[in-house]
Amino acid sequence: MPPAARPETEAPAAMPETSLSRILPQAPAFAWPELQHIDPVLGLAAVMLVAVVAASAMHRLMHLPRLAGMMLVGALASPLGLGLLQPADLDAWKPIIDLAIAALVFELGSRLRPRWLIDNRWLAASCLLEGLCAALAVGGALVALGAPQMSAVLAALVASSTSPIIVMAGVHELRPRGQVGERLLLMCAINSVLAMLALKLWPLLAMAGQGTTGSDALSWVASALFVTCGSFLLGLFGGWTLDRAARLSRQRASMPVLQIALVMLAATLASSWGLSPLLTLLVAGMTARSLMGHRLTVEPYLGSAGAALTVLLLISLGVLFSFDGVQQVWPWVLALVGARLLGKGLGVVLLARPSGLGWRQAAGLTLALQPMGSLAVLLVADNFRWASQLPGFDPAVMQALLISASLMQLSGPLWLDAGLRRVAGECREEARHAA
Amino acid sequence: MPLESFTVSEPLTMGVELELQLLDTLDFDLAPRAQDLLRALDRHSGAWDVKPEITRSMIEIGTSIQREHAPLRDELHHLCRQLSRGARKLNIGIGGGGTHAFQQWSEQQIYPTERFHYISELYGYLAKQFTVFGQHVHIGVPSGDDALWLLHALSRYVPHFIALSASSPFVQGVDTGFHSARLNSVFAFPLSGRAPFVLTWNEFGQYFEKMTSTGVVQSMKDFYWDIRPKPEFGTIELRVCDTPLTVDKAAALACYLQSLCRYLREERPFEPAEDDYLVYTYNRFQACRFGLDGEIVDPKTKQRQKLRDDIIRTLARVAEHALDLRSLEANNQIRDSLFEGNDASWLRALRQGGAPLPALVEAASARWMMK
Repeated sequence: MPPAARPETEAPAAMPETSLSRILPQAPAFAWPELQHIDPVLGLAAVMLVAVVAASAMHRLMHLPRLAGMMLVGALASPLGLGLLQPADLDAWKPIIDLAIAALVFELGSRLRPRWLIDNRWLAASCLLEGLCAALAVGGALVALGAPQMSAVLAALVASSTSPIIVMAGVHELRPRGQVGERLLLMCAINSVLAMLALKLWPLLAMAGQGTTGSDALSWVASALFVTCGSFLLGLFGGWTLDRAARLSRQRASMPVLQIALVMLAATLASSWGLSPLLTLLVAGMTARSLMGHRLTVEPYLGSAGAALTVLLLISLGVLFSFDGVQQVWPWVLALVGARLLGKGLGVVLLARPSGLGWRQAAGLTLALQPMGSLAVLLVADNFRWASQLPGFDPAVMQALLISASLMQLSGPLWLDAGLRRVAGECREEARHAA
Repeated sequence: MPLESFTVSEPLTMGVELELQLLDTLDFDLAPRAQDLLRALDRHSGAWDVKPEITRSMIEIGTSIQREHAPLRDELHHLCRQLSRGARKLNIGIGGGGTHAFQQWSEQQIYPTERFHYISELYGYLAKQFTVFGQHVHIGVPSGDDALWLLHALSRYVPHFIALSASSPFVQGVDTGFHSARLNSVFAFPLSGRAPFVLTWNEFGQYFEKMTSTGVVQSMKDFYWDIRPKPEFGTIELRVCDTPLTVDKAAALACYLQSLCRYLREERPFEPAEDDYLVYTYNRFQACRFGLDGEIVDPKTKQRQKLRDDIIRTLARVAEHALDLRSLEANNQIRDSLFEGNDASWLRALRQGGAPLPALVEAASARWMMK
């Protein structure tokens, strides 16, 4: 994949004449390349190498989860730190990063058992309630602090979701076994899909807010229906295709390759047809599990190549972190993070006992649901500058949302560790050393 | 510490305890979810009991005191339905079977109670290896002397129950070749095996005092014998059965034991003797290893015969008592299973048909949860 064009490097300035230069024979002058001018492909590869080593060192010395360490290295390489990589550099990598995300979402889908929502109606209600409470709390807090109403609603929709990337990567590291871990995956999938659908309907909501709905409203509704039904059908077809292909190949060793091929196919088709890759891959994972049962063995990250993709993904998240303007919008950031914590906590606790969850487990689940990301919008956007694609979004609220997402992604592994291991006690001790 | 006195109970009443597997519905490995399930069932509507077991991936259920087959089976069905409903609500699978086919013992977690922590400290890794699942059947007896007589008279029938209930061919992902590999785990415990040959409660009390004075045992719970007296309940407890894959089989086994006990008590076809135990471990091994095809030696006549044939003859001898106890249907079910094969054979047939081990556990769970 060709890297994005770079401005040509300026000629190095002439060396000042020193006593040493007068004595030594004249050699071609050497100068360290400026970090900003490194080829982005080379730069990202180098950062990956550093990230793995540095994350391990930070884990050993500071007990920082490796996932957080990798994101920190990405942030360090971004304009926030050394400026080695620019967010725009990642556009060239977007198909690969999308694949990494898609692999995690497919695996998430394959771990879900939708039947559970029928067996436990209170759990189904709880899944909706925690997203709703979080959205209401965030929206209410931002409006109370003077944010424009429609922008506050948009921020609330994004904030209602939990980051599937951080959750899946964290689950791989911590390996929880219990109610909290299972509910976390289910709630994360549901609140991400709902947030994605709400964002698809956002232009309609924006028009309604401005009182300009008309003939366009029907077309937006039709578009949302097309996205939902189309993604669902494509996911069903993807899962069915994987089942057929696995039956024909009959080789267990070829399963990861088939899965990667399916994930790429489904994600690409969904993107090019204007559908939701998130919903498509979740449905594909669930369908494949349902049809294939125990023949479907989903390796964590779809195997070691997928693990490398996930490192790349975590670094990219770090590069995309934004803390610009934090001095101006910090009250909104605090309100957003705090209100989201309270909203999700309320949603979980209200139906904890009827849905069969203990109080301590409810507290653990609330903490584990905190990792926040922009995946819901990332997968409906064409590039990483998705913020500019949402019409009518107040720049300050957007900035507060971006800073909050960065903060809650970076601290996501810590929330997961606190929720799943320390409070819920669902992780074995060895997982602590691995995380 | 003196032995407690033997509680008088109505003869031939029975109770069934089943140790069950708690399973993850994704990979069907054991799942440490006992506390969740116990919380969900703490206000159940039955007379039955549910309680924790040594590791967090197990629970034990117990019926109320029963006299006949039909009410026992109905109660087990009721229990099974409520348990399954609670489990489905929490996304847990429940399964029978004497062992889990592929669990790793080292990954099991001890259930947090004082007693289980004591056992874990005393027995070390054996405690986690004790993640095996058995059916215990209690039969009521009127006195301690009666209990000991019946306990030793039943010893020659122990292989029947091992072979009929066998459902543990796989251990740690490997086909052991045994029909009941569970009992090999139990045998590792120093106080397992058979009870000492004493026939009166006074003699047994003397034995118990000697053992407690050595500090090796503190209570009757420390004996892991195949059959042991349970003075606080006024029963003898048969502990050799694997947990069957269905509650119907569990009820049938209990009623076969009940009719056998009635036959022994009323007809007194022989008097138990120390020499009965000369072939005890050999016969026990044959039942564990070969199931119904095992070959056992009669301790009196020294003749060899197929275990299946011995069970058929015994069923014929106890038929009249089964009729009186209204458990003929249970005994017919036992007779049918002699030709259909035990649960171990069913599991092996699935495996030979190409099912991966998780699919095997899932199929066993579906049978137990009556899906």
